[in-house]
Amino acid sequence: MIVCSNLFKEYAHGAARKRVLSDVNLSIAPGEKLALLGRNGAGKSTLIKLLGGVEMPTSGKISRKMTVSWPLGFAGGFQGSLTGYDNARFIARIYRRSYADIKEYVEEFTELGSQLKMPVKTYSSGMRARLAFALSLAIEFDCYLIDEIILVGDQNFSRKCHVELFEKRADRAMVLASHSTEIIRESCNRAAVIQDTVLTTYDDVGEAIALYQSL
Amino acid sequence: MPQTALQKFKVGWSIQVRVVHALMIRELITRFGRENIGFLWIMAEPMLFGLLVAMLWRVLHGPTEHGMSIIAFAVTGYIPVTLFRHGLARSIALFTVNSSLLYHRQVTILDLIIARFLVEMAGGMMAYAFIAAVLMAFGEFPVPANIGLFIAGWLLYALFTFSLVLVIAPLSEMSEVLEKFLPVTTYIMIPVSGLFSMASWLTPDVRRYFLWSPFVNGMEMMRGGIWGDTITVYYNVWNPIGCSIVFGMIGLALCRRVRKTLTVQ
Repeated sequence: MIVCSNLFKEYAHGAARKRVLSDVNLSIAPGEKLALLGRNGAGKSTLIKLLGGVEMPTSGKISRKMTVSWPLGFAGGFQGSLTGYDNARFIARIYRRSYADIKEYVEEFTELGSQLKMPVKTYSSGMRARLAFALSLAIEFDCYLIDEIILVGDQNFSRKCHVELFEKRADRAMVLASHSTEIIRESCNRAAVIQDTVLTTYDDVGEAIALYQSL
Repeated sequence: MPQTALQKFKVGWSIQVRVVHALMIRELITRFGRENIGFLWIMAEPMLFGLLVAMLWRVLHGPTEHGMSIIAFAVTGYIPVTLFRHGLARSIALFTVNSSLLYHRQVTILDLIIARFLVEMAGGMMAYAFIAAVLMAFGEFPVPANIGLFIAGWLLYALFTFSLVLVIAPLSEMSEVLEKFLPVTTYIMIPVSGLFSMASWLTPDVRRYFLWSPFVNGMEMMRGGIWGDTITVYYNVWNPIGCSIVFGMIGLALCRRVRKTLTVQ
């Protein structure tokens, strides 16, 4: 269970302040698949970062009673100057997992081959996404935070992700920020729309998508 | 089952040790790579700096200073100062540079500071031991008279430097002005670092103020540990300890504050 109560997030730059989220109350139960909808810049990524503990709310509280992945997306979580293997080793260390197991899984899942011996900064964004996804699946979280269209890789990869995440790990919770209404309709059982800093949740995914499309 | 405070502390401690360990290895690999001598490079810079300056002093000032070998005197002064200057310089914008690591919730900004400082400190210590051993072989460095006092002095010097790093790292995220002033400030502070002079060379009046500097107290202890009774040293261990506690507290409060507003890309 993740419970957010009265979350506010503001960014300040110099004297300028920008409010991104106002009074967000949200809870995510085990096994729940929540879609986050909103236009570019609406605050989807910010909310995901707050849920993952990457950034702190300006006020409000988040309590996590299950293990939550780091936000999986095209950026963050890796040290660009280190190789894929070194990053995997670092992550294995801090999550206290066996490096041998993780290495094997990553090699098999990412199919990156000898690219894993190259610094991550030389990877394309799709390759980074593969690596991030493989590592988070190898660690096994109760809740996966998925930012943006990480699932829309090449066909072979997105099929693999689908099997690993929605079939093998159907019992896990997930928060998915995406613009792809197709994926959301297929895989989510709840949705939230962020509009003008306010978050509204819908138990009917179709209703949320209709609203998002009218924005 | 509710956890007791002690259990929570144990869990937190084990996570922190693990994360700092992983961060240190990462730091060594990113900075020095695995080529040729690898992480041994961490002692190369303090060592070259200490040795070259010592040779310069030998040429400019002659073989001894107040009965101490000038080379040994310069080395004992410069290596701690290198720790101080590099420790501070490397703490600038530390959080922004490493922000991608903050994606992992168990990595805290304090871990980033600790890991980087420990690497600097290990480099300084290794350089110190190596130079001292080489110089001892040439008869240019005395066999330490009181190694315990020396180590205590080094640890206090490092502790105070660490407490300054705890303040500078978050401040550098709050204001970019700091970055412009830091190099000149650390340079200005060299005279009160105990690098050039010993307290016993000064008049009692000046000495009183000189000993307000926590660096001087640490430096006097280190030199006292090396030369023993052949020189007179003045120090008060509570000065660096007290100053470190004050700066450390301020630093921790600033870190907490900065973390709340830190934007992670």
